[in-house]
Amino acid sequence: MTTPFLKTLLAATAGLVMTATIQAQAADPVKIAYNGDISGSPSAESGQIGVLGIGAAVEDINKRGGVLGRPLEFLIRDDLGQPPKAIQNMTDLIDREKVSVVFGPTNSGNALAWKHIANQKKMPVLVSSASSTAITEGPASGNYLFRVSMVDREQAAALLAYVKKNPEAKSVGFFVETTGYGQAGLKDLEQIAALHGIKPAATEKFDARDTDMTSQLAKAKAAGVDTLVVWAQAAPLGHLVRSMEKLDYFPKVFTTWAASFSGFPEVAGPKLMEWPVFLTTSSERKSDASKALFERIGPKLANPSMFWAASQAYDTVLLWAAAAEQAGSLKGEEVRGALESLNKPVAGMVKTYEKPFSTAQHEGLTASDYHWSRWKDGKVVDFNDPVLDGLQPADFKK
Amino acid sequence: MLQAIIGGLTLGSVYALIALGFNLTYTTTRTLNFAQGDFVSVGAFVGLGTVGVLTAALGADAVGYVWFYALAAVAAALAMGVLGLPLYLAAIRPFAGKPGMSWVVSTIGFGIVLQSAALSLWGLGARMLAPPFGDEVFRVGEVGFRSQELVVMALAFAILGGFDIAMRRTALGRCMRAVALNRDAAALMGIDVPRVMALAFLASSALAGLSGVLVAPILSASLFMGVIIALKGFSAAIIGGLTNPRGCMAGGLLIGLVESLTALWSAQWREIMVFLLVILVLAMAPNGMFGRKLVEKV
Amino acid sequence: MRTETATRPAPFRPAILRAVPALGVGAALVALALTLTNDFHLYVAFMAGVYYLCASGMNVLAGYAGQKSLGQAGLFAAGAYTVALLTTRLEVSPVLALAAAPIVAAGVGVLIALPSLRVKGPSLALVTLAFGLVVEKLVTEWTDLFGGAQGVYGIAPLEFQGEPFALRHWVVLVIVLAVATHLLLGHLLNGRFGRALLALQSDEIAAECAGISVYRYKILAFVVAAALCGLGGALVAQQNQYFNSDFVTFHLSVFILLLVLLGGAGNLYGPIAGAAILTATEVFLAQWPSVQHFIYGSMLLFALYLMPTGVAGTIARVLPRKAVAEPVVTGAPLTLSRTTDDPAGGPLLEMRDIAKAFGGVVTADKVGLRLHAHRVHALIGPNGAGKSTLINILTGVIPADSGSIRLAGEDITRASAHSRADRGIARTFQNLRLFGAMTVLDNVLVGAHARIGATGREAEAVAKAAAVLEFVGLAEHAQALAGSLPYGLQRRVELARALAGDPVLLLLDEPAAGLNPRETAELGQLIKRIGRLGVAVLMVEHDMGLVMGISDEIVVLDRGIVIAEGTPREIQTNPRVIEAYLGREEAPADDEADGKEEERAC
Repeated sequence: MTTPFLKTLLAATAGLVMTATIQAQAADPVKIAYNGDISGSPSAESGQIGVLGIGAAVEDINKRGGVLGRPLEFLIRDDLGQPPKAIQNMTDLIDREKVSVVFGPTNSGNALAWKHIANQKKMPVLVSSASSTAITEGPASGNYLFRVSMVDREQAAALLAYVKKNPEAKSVGFFVETTGYGQAGLKDLEQIAALHGIKPAATEKFDARDTDMTSQLAKAKAAGVDTLVVWAQAAPLGHLVRSMEKLDYFPKVFTTWAASFSGFPEVAGPKLMEWPVFLTTSSERKSDASKALFERIGPKLANPSMFWAASQAYDTVLLWAAAAEQAGSLKGEEVRGALESLNKPVAGMVKTYEKPFSTAQHEGLTASDYHWSRWKDGKVVDFNDPVLDGLQPADFKK
Repeated sequence: MLQAIIGGLTLGSVYALIALGFNLTYTTTRTLNFAQGDFVSVGAFVGLGTVGVLTAALGADAVGYVWFYALAAVAAALAMGVLGLPLYLAAIRPFAGKPGMSWVVSTIGFGIVLQSAALSLWGLGARMLAPPFGDEVFRVGEVGFRSQELVVMALAFAILGGFDIAMRRTALGRCMRAVALNRDAAALMGIDVPRVMALAFLASSALAGLSGVLVAPILSASLFMGVIIALKGFSAAIIGGLTNPRGCMAGGLLIGLVESLTALWSAQWREIMVFLLVILVLAMAPNGMFGRKLVEKV
Repeated sequence: MRTETATRPAPFRPAILRAVPALGVGAALVALALTLTNDFHLYVAFMAGVYYLCASGMNVLAGYAGQKSLGQAGLFAAGAYTVALLTTRLEVSPVLALAAAPIVAAGVGVLIALPSLRVKGPSLALVTLAFGLVVEKLVTEWTDLFGGAQGVYGIAPLEFQGEPFALRHWVVLVIVLAVATHLLLGHLLNGRFGRALLALQSDEIAAECAGISVYRYKILAFVVAAALCGLGGALVAQQNQYFNSDFVTFHLSVFILLLVLLGGAGNLYGPIAGAAILTATEVFLAQWPSVQHFIYGSMLLFALYLMPTGVAGTIARVLPRKAVAEPVVTGAPLTLSRTTDDPAGGPLLEMRDIAKAFGGVVTADKVGLRLHAHRVHALIGPNGAGKSTLINILTGVIPADSGSIRLAGEDITRASAHSRADRGIARTFQNLRLFGAMTVLDNVLVGAHARIGATGREAEAVAKAAAVLEFVGLAEHAQALAGSLPYGLQRRVELARALAGDPVLLLLDEPAAGLNPRETAELGQLIKRIGRLGVAVLMVEHDMGLVMGISDEIVVLDRGIVIAEGTPREIQTNPRVIEAYLGREEAPADDEADGKEEERAC
């Protein structure tokens, strides 16, 4: 009874192998791919918008003749935020589809789950929205992960530099969610706080699905905390300020770019959303190119504040294309080399990149590219105060 | 402390609503809708959509937002209730009353399709549904609460009470109880059993949709919010005693309270506590706290 | 859940021969894997293998034992974190760590089994689901130990010639493990173990009365499922050399159950079909992210409607049936192997002062009973007299409130139902309790469960079962499904099942109920022949013709009290008996008031 069934299975497997070979031979366009969460969790929003940005960049590059004279073909893989799926997609893209570069992912945890595969297979990966510090830490033999995005460590350095400098901040509390995002952030916060000699008076955690943080806040209140540094995604962050209102307890809140995600203003509401101060990469659209891109994909965004996800993703494609042109090759090793020594400036959406990467430095954006921001009348605007003006480069410990 | 109790009872009463839905479908068909969470989420978004449409059509201040919200709640209950029928026909009917648990697979499949459809319609982000009586925090001594918490509790208790009475007093309720007690006998007495089963799914899905609209102003609506709410509703139904509607209600309140009181101590262990409690209760009382023992005749 | 064709191969073929096809297929798969050069195909093959391991264990639990668990992700995690922590924290060798993983997972499996023993259906689903969620939360929140979502790096992989395993090595390893698992499970499930699980899935009380320790077998099933799932988790963690809490999701638990249900629960080949098809589907659909959820969801929605027995079950139905009808015939007449004489100085069974009350209703009041080998006893009495209660107390289905029971001089008052069956007390039920989806032969073999013993003298047992079937005149129906037989024959299958355990005492609860006069007469002859084999028979019966015709001794019970004892002649003339039967109005109760309250709703 087994044999016929297994025969079919074997035949099917053999068929799969053959189609794969044929596809590889017929490859004329250059395949590039996004592998990240675009449907599995609320944070998939930045993945979807990243895909829009990459799609726009692919269109633009193809219009001007592609890369190395070949058009780009853009593949999308959804990892649902699940590591096994992410790993499977990665081997699919590298070994079957034979793509030349991978963009993504959405969640840091998945990047950590497959980054060794990219490094082993010499596959350049450009990250545009996952911010965990560890992602771009690579082996000495060659690190293939590059990033054009916020980085946890840099954000923690900036936020704590401000807290240290601010005379009104006497007692600090760390509030983090229990996801990989929050845990990694807490690690960075604690290490940098130690450098500054800051001892948090309270460290509280909450689940990303929590909607009532009054009990954690009550503990912080009891401990006399006047300044909170928060590491959480948009929706729980919104619920945190709502819970603050419930307790009538309003410590200063400093947080990450997550506050610019559309979920935060939705949940917090027009009044409370103006309370936290946070960091973004592009609080306003300054260049013409950036405005033009916004015209194109803005209508597809649930909230214009998420535009950064598109512009950063757009820039990753430009940087990779520039590196491929410079290397005159699509081979991973050579593209990596070119990325680490880009000799021409690349005019991107977020900024113009001049030698963004080196062998030791794989971050396209650093603290100097961050903007202090806050919400005002439904828009993200620059935040300014005397403490900020007084910050010196020496204050940024990391 | 009191703050935690109010929060716990609020969510608990929502769990109770969902648990009641599970009770209705289980007693009549011996099946449960594992996609109930998606009905909750989608219900919230139907509510959001209704408010949006009404505001666009009539202007924000036409009749007062309370009416918009009320209509949204009705729309969500109706829409989800109607969706309960295809759920029953496609995922339940082929398996109702048969041994095995094939309906687990089919209802999960229905949920995936429903959620995917909703995602392509509404997107991934969290959205806030404005509460009907304003979002201000009321303060009594140290305790702060929002009007919506009271609205949820009041409405939930009213519905639970209404159901309790309806099941005992109305003809339809008696039909449902008859089918629950003995399906074959009910059929012999001329009760249209498939119709009662379909109605049970309609009511259960409508309750889920309504729950979605009720909690959306508190929890913020996202298409991922339903799963955990439904899981706790499921837990409530089972530890209360799946066959006992009053037990289901009590289970819901208990879970809500345990959850918020654990949060006072350490919020991150909250769900561990809730589900450990579930395991413990069922290890002690396999039929739940208020489910009467089912003795097999040998 | 089992297919209509019995998938058991002919029982007499040596195990080695049975293993040949699987070994051949395994070797072919290994050869194929070695020709694959594309890491993607190798990875897919690896994951399919891992999913097969998880599914095959789950099949034992869900398909055979009928325990639908929704918490397998927790066990997957137990295995994965075992290798992760052992190799990174304690620097245990990778091989040892991999070997430890299923053991640790099995231990965790016992933990989840214990609260699950008494719950059924949705409650069982919830207990296991809650367990899975607790593990998921634990590995996420307890970051000091498990690393949370940041995960554990540097998990040591297995090595081949000093180098870490390449993907092809992992694939070969998984194939070897899968084939070994398939053969081992095939051996277990086609024998006593598999029958016991199917029996308890079908009817726990009947299984218990056939000598199967229901709790122990359930725990065993949980342990097998846990060990294999833990092995799968360990392989994934070691292959990837990194593991984090995002791997452990409710989705994974659902997926593992799906593998089994879609593949074909209770079918040895179901997990193979499930793992192959679901892995392939996922990979295939991944190319169209926008529609994959719709297609996947619709597949789940309709798959079991179209294929109620899963893919493997459907294939088995389409394929031509193997000619299984090897006549199960032995020349030997039936003999029972236990000593079947009364012990010196007393009756075979002595019941003293047994009392039982349900709430306020007294169904047994200081009942004493003495049963002798070689004799047919009848227990009669009006409705509600407490006859069935007495049988249930004797077999251990219901505990007595007070009093004592001795079998062959040994006190068995506190013994469990299955250990009483083991000691030779067999029974039939007032309402048939056959394992309807199993063959007649398998039903009888379940009856012989305790007799076969763990040594697995399967061939002997089959011969004995054949003799039993011949004895009751069912030899030609051996391979039919028990549930498909006409009512009268089903009654006889139950009798055969009881006889297969080599009973010293056979309890028959209304054996003639529903039989026509001819069948009743045949039954009478059969019972007499059973008595002649040396068995003590106690029968509860309303058919006075039958009772008076074949009984050596009759006990009359009324309202929980023995009102008369004696030969048929003595009983027929006993005035108290006549009064009990004729002199009073009887409430039209449906038989015994055994405290059954089938309380369902509201």
